[in-house]
Amino acid sequence: MSLDGASRARFNLDKAAVLLLDDTPMGMAILVQIITGLGAKTLYRCTSVEQAREVASTYELDLAIVDGMAPSGLGYDFVRWMRTEAKEPNCYTPVLITTAHTPATDVARARDCGGHIIIKKPIAPKVMLERILWVAKEGRPFLFSGSYVGPDRRFRNDGPPDGVGRRREDLTEKAADAVAAAAAEPQSQPEARAVS
Amino acid sequence: MSSVRFVFPKVRLAEILKTPGGLTVADALERAEANLEEIRPTCIAELAALLEYAEAALERLAEDFDDAGLADLYAIAVRGIGAGAVCGAPGVDDALTSLCDLIDHLRTTGQYDRPAVGVHVRAWRLLMNPDLPLAGAQPVLDGLRKVSARYAA
Repeated sequence: MSLDGASRARFNLDKAAVLLLDDTPMGMAILVQIITGLGAKTLYRCTSVEQAREVASTYELDLAIVDGMAPSGLGYDFVRWMRTEAKEPNCYTPVLITTAHTPATDVARARDCGGHIIIKKPIAPKVMLERILWVAKEGRPFLFSGSYVGPDRRFRNDGPPDGVGRRREDLTEKAADAVAAAAAEPQSQPEARAVS
Repeated sequence: MSSVRFVFPKVRLAEILKTPGGLTVADALERAEANLEEIRPTCIAELAALLEYAEAALERLAEDFDDAGLADLYAIAVRGIGAGAVCGAPGVDDALTSLCDLIDHLRTTGQYDRPAVGVHVRAWRLLMNPDLPLAGAQPVLDGLRKVSARYAA
């Protein structure tokens, strides 16, 4: 996900409608300076969940940057509300969650609220841009299950879990040799070899 | 068994980002950094005000386990995380993160160590000093992390 900070590649946030939710003036000021620097012009600055719900119910949003709002964690509840209660297209809007600190009791709440990605403060502009470009990638499915609504979080392709392997690789070395030998033999002896 | 449904929504942001015009990555990052520089004095003032609140909260912190006092300090410290980098004192962010970790560990496990909390608040003031060299900040931060890690569950 690393971005070359000297890149001359262009991107355009000019027309993006961005919701910002942060209940601290300093946090909001930092966010606004970064996002306007990156070129966004339509910002909905919300300092409470109530304001954010009002905005999300009224305007179409292209991106939401939501602080977890520790210690209350109300920001996570807002994201869950967006996923489950907001109308289309806002229920699918990419959501970046920012957090200064996540208490142990809130880790699951943060993980399962339906955000695309969590960014730990302090936030560097380069990191913010990288994450914006990442959440904008198309083709990521949304998942509706009993307890979770949000983007499919299985974005890493790590292959099968340890100890499972793909079928061909499940074979022991000895068995694989036997299969290879069988494959090399003439077709007049087609019986399957026992694989030990 | 609960049913699972997948939807592939259209991401309008992807289209917007590709529209002609806009900024180069280099220019955008430069603008964002310049914007942050503009609010640096305000951030320094607000972080200093938070530090004073934290020092007052530390004064009020009881000698025996004081959950409400710890919660107060947590609420103050967590508001400052992120401002250190903007103020040119990135060590403050690390110290505040360590303080929040410590308080979280203490409140979760029911343990109490007032001096450990105190050393974090005092380090906060030290790390706000713009003349403190990085080499001077690093051992302080290492020490704070060791203190908070001691109470990790």
